[in-house]
Amino acid sequence: MPVSWTLLLVLAMAVAGFVIGRSRVLAAAGGDSRLLHSRTNYYGWNIALYTAVPALFLIAIWLFAQPGANRILVAGVALAVAAVGLIWSLQRTAPDFRARNAVESFVRGLLIMCSSIAILTTAGIVFSMLFETGNFFSQYPWQDFFFGTTWSPRFGGGSQLGILPLVWGTLYISFIALAVSIPIGLFAAIYMSEYASPRMRGFAKPMIEILAGIPTIVYGLFALITVGPMLRDYFAQPLGLGNSGSSVMTAGLVMGIMLIPFVSSLSDDIINAVPQSLRDAALGLGSTQSETVRNVVLPAALPGIVGAILLAASRAIGETMIVVLGAGAAARMDLNPFEAMTTITVKIVSQLTGDTDFAAPETLVAFALGLTLFVVTLGLNIVALYVVRKYREQYE
Amino acid sequence: MTDATFPASAAAPQSKSSLLVVDERTRKRNAAEKRFRAYGLSAIAIALIALVVLMYSIFSDGIGAFRQTYLEIPVTLDAAQLDKNGNRNPEDIKKVLTTTYGKLLDQSLQAVMTQNGITIEGIAAKDVSDLISKEASAQLRNRVLANPDLVGQTIDARVLVNGRVDGYYKGRVSMESAARDSNTSPAQLQLADALKGKGMLSTEWNWSFLTNPDASDQRPEAAGVGVAILGSLYMMLVVLFLAVPIGVAASIYLEEFAPKNRLTDIIEVNISNLAAVPSIVFGILGLAAFINFAGLPQSAPIVGGLVLTLMTLPTIIIATRAALKAVPPSIRDAALGVGASKMQSVFHHVLPLAMPGILTGTIIGLAQALGETAPLLLIGMVAFVKNFPAAPMEGLFDPASALPVQVYNWTQRADPAFMERASGAIIVLLVFLLCMNLIAIFLRRKFERRW
Amino acid sequence: MNDMRILERAVEQTDIKISARKVQVHYGEKHALKDVDVDILDKTVTAFIGPSGCGKSTFLRCLNRMNDTIDSCRVDGRIALDGEDIYDKRVDPVQLRARVGMVFQKPNPFPKSIYDNVAYGPRIHGLARNRAELDEIVEKSLRGAALWNEVKDRLSEPGTGLSGGQQQRLCIARAVATQPEVLLMDEPCSALDPIATSQVEDLIDHLREQFSVVIVTHSMQQAARVSQKTAFFHLGNLVEYADTDDIFTRPRDPRTESYISGRIG
Repeated sequence: MPVSWTLLLVLAMAVAGFVIGRSRVLAAAGGDSRLLHSRTNYYGWNIALYTAVPALFLIAIWLFAQPGANRILVAGVALAVAAVGLIWSLQRTAPDFRARNAVESFVRGLLIMCSSIAILTTAGIVFSMLFETGNFFSQYPWQDFFFGTTWSPRFGGGSQLGILPLVWGTLYISFIALAVSIPIGLFAAIYMSEYASPRMRGFAKPMIEILAGIPTIVYGLFALITVGPMLRDYFAQPLGLGNSGSSVMTAGLVMGIMLIPFVSSLSDDIINAVPQSLRDAALGLGSTQSETVRNVVLPAALPGIVGAILLAASRAIGETMIVVLGAGAAARMDLNPFEAMTTITVKIVSQLTGDTDFAAPETLVAFALGLTLFVVTLGLNIVALYVVRKYREQYE
Repeated sequence: MTDATFPASAAAPQSKSSLLVVDERTRKRNAAEKRFRAYGLSAIAIALIALVVLMYSIFSDGIGAFRQTYLEIPVTLDAAQLDKNGNRNPEDIKKVLTTTYGKLLDQSLQAVMTQNGITIEGIAAKDVSDLISKEASAQLRNRVLANPDLVGQTIDARVLVNGRVDGYYKGRVSMESAARDSNTSPAQLQLADALKGKGMLSTEWNWSFLTNPDASDQRPEAAGVGVAILGSLYMMLVVLFLAVPIGVAASIYLEEFAPKNRLTDIIEVNISNLAAVPSIVFGILGLAAFINFAGLPQSAPIVGGLVLTLMTLPTIIIATRAALKAVPPSIRDAALGVGASKMQSVFHHVLPLAMPGILTGTIIGLAQALGETAPLLLIGMVAFVKNFPAAPMEGLFDPASALPVQVYNWTQRADPAFMERASGAIIVLLVFLLCMNLIAIFLRRKFERRW
Repeated sequence: MNDMRILERAVEQTDIKISARKVQVHYGEKHALKDVDVDILDKTVTAFIGPSGCGKSTFLRCLNRMNDTIDSCRVDGRIALDGEDIYDKRVDPVQLRARVGMVFQKPNPFPKSIYDNVAYGPRIHGLARNRAELDEIVEKSLRGAALWNEVKDRLSEPGTGLSGGQQQRLCIARAVATQPEVLLMDEPCSALDPIATSQVEDLIDHLREQFSVVIVTHSMQQAARVSQKTAFFHLGNLVEYADTDDIFTRPRDPRTESYISGRIG
């Protein structure tokens, strides 16, 4: 495979450059390394970096942009670039050359590039979705997308792609999930930070955090094979509310369990940030501990807790696997929580897996759904992070 | 101090009650206190019960995937059928299809039944032949192709039985359910019981679940997580080689070098927001950027690895920055004070001291990436893959599956035996995650430093 | 046991508010207070002085059982409020703290309005039957803390917006509003500037007319200015307890003398 050979060759050139440059500069200084501006290794590094890095970047970018490129051509150009870098930096090598500074600015440049990948990712997300969303709206009117109340894609044409039933399902499930996780998570956090003995805390806190480390596919399977059938057999059918194992309730309950550690660990941090002096003041006035928590600690922590809840809401809205396996696929606007409904994320998965035709609105709609999801969760996150940060500053 | 007036009656003396008697109001408040405590305790209890039920449900469903029912019978590899030319030429033997081997197995089973005098009332020929898994004939064929000398001999074959019979011995299938099932019958199960009585049929530990590739809809008994484990491993390698260096470099820049300006602020806000972007959005990015735009192959570990890299970067950056921040400024000052450059102080002193924290953060980020499913669905990793990918680097571009995606894939199959496999795959996944977290905890304990 | 009974009778007869006998405090392994015997008089300011770490704050926190909130803390001996042992099993610390209030080192107003800060105690203890009574208690307490004129027009603004000295007086008003019989003050002026300090000191002098005040301070001048009785603590021992004038002019123990003349501190 020529690419791996090219990589090896470039690296070999870099090593050779390192050795040659090091010995050459030492010879130029008459063997006395004290006469050099920098330590000898920096001269070697300078050459190695200029030889290897540009050539490696060239290979990576070229192959990424044009995977079918002629490998021989790529190898040739890359080796040429490496050779130019090698010769140029060798020529610069002299005892009074500031090799350390050169190496350090090179490394600094690399560090900056790595940091900017975060921005590139965001830009990539936005542009990749904007572009295809634009295509989608050129084929399907945006009014019908945002205000349509029917979701029925037909690959023969004549699809109705209204987002509202999906938004309804998403919000309904998220609501149930938050209704489960907020009280449980918050009370667990309060108990652990205000009441629990160190031993109990040392046991319960890691146990609850295990819930946070479990992948969502596990929760999805749990919803599918345990919670769904159980809710159907013991609640939905006896109450005459439906016969479906996958339902809003199934997905909401399981997602609620998933969010408990998320809410509790965030709230725990926030409650611990409330200064002890406020608790002392309340206790000193003769409050019971629960009065201290309800009247003083919670009001003081409220902004932070609101931030935590917003973050949890953003998690719930963007969660995919639990709803894919637990909520069902029927786009429906209904109040019955034991009815199967569907969410934005479920439809993104179903429209983009299997045979896809990137010219059809039925496929492209997934990008519009994705962009909507991204904008909503981003908005929630920005507000939440801002609120939490302001809260922290207050007690610093 | 003009308003500090104290009329003698200002503070009406409180009705003095004894401290030793709890008054009515305090009693009520203490009851409220007890209720509040009970709420807290029950919240913790609910969370822990949920954890236990979740684990119990997955393990009780999945443990069956690690046991498998096998039939051990002598099989006569009839040379007349397998090698018509009689020259043991491997090329000719290759032309014989699996159906022929199926017939051989069928004949062998019939022979065994007559020898041992097993007769089941009302058993159909189809019930007998279907007792043996469809996968068994393919496995037998592979065995013969690997060693053509076996043709003409009678060998002891250990073959898979069909999923329903296997399920019968794991409690999933009963005589009653078999009567309603078109894929099995009570007679078939009686036959299995009879064979078991003769010691030919047994349920054993199933290593091949870990090594086998996926199998088609009709053969849950042969499905394994081998390809998925390898695919996940490849993706973790990509994440390790990309996310860790980039993440650490970015954190070093942001924490140690970056000037405090608008751009740095934007990058920081960006990173904390990326950490909270739904994972499926990264899948859309991967589909649009890596597959549609760059033209990388679908289902390839390289694409999955790239997507997971982008997704894990914020986690690694946040953890690394915390580790760097924990190194006290005095260390940096000490290095700068003896004439080291800023770069030298960071790379020679700060980074080594922050290493344990960085490692812990990295492992946690990897664990998160290992369990991620949603973005991989969009880049085609749900495809049915039966062939193992080649060794890296080429293997990174071959189609593969991933553990969590394999779980999803199996949940979409009709045969309930696949649910057991899905739970089994989850157990494998959880064991990997547990190991990674234990390593992280171990590292933290071992290298934890208090300044 | 016999002398104990005599002491108890003495408590009932005189105006001794709190009497402490053989009080020992342990923090885990550490023996923080050893055999402290003190009688705190009603309607008097008692000052606890001594070098840092001497146990004076620890002892103060024993008097309304604030030490209960620290897991590793153990208190032995007997402390009686009006003759009743406050560490008796039947005593609810909540009821005790309503009668023995506390003001802390750092001003710690709740993040609520000024009104709600002061009304907090009366509300939880049910001291007011209606809004008008509550208004009256709040006004009286704020007047009592010499803060009314400064805040009467902005009672609904947050208490955290006041200056440091005002915040501390707000905390005193908050403590006064529960109508305690004893007010404990743990270095109440250490976070304040000299002007705010002198305001709080004047206030303490007025508060004495209503109930007894126990103040921990590291400033000997402050102790001399505000208190009638002074207790000197050193290394967990109560070295000397006498009238303030006597302590500062005729200390009986050489350690007290060293501290007062600035040799230990």
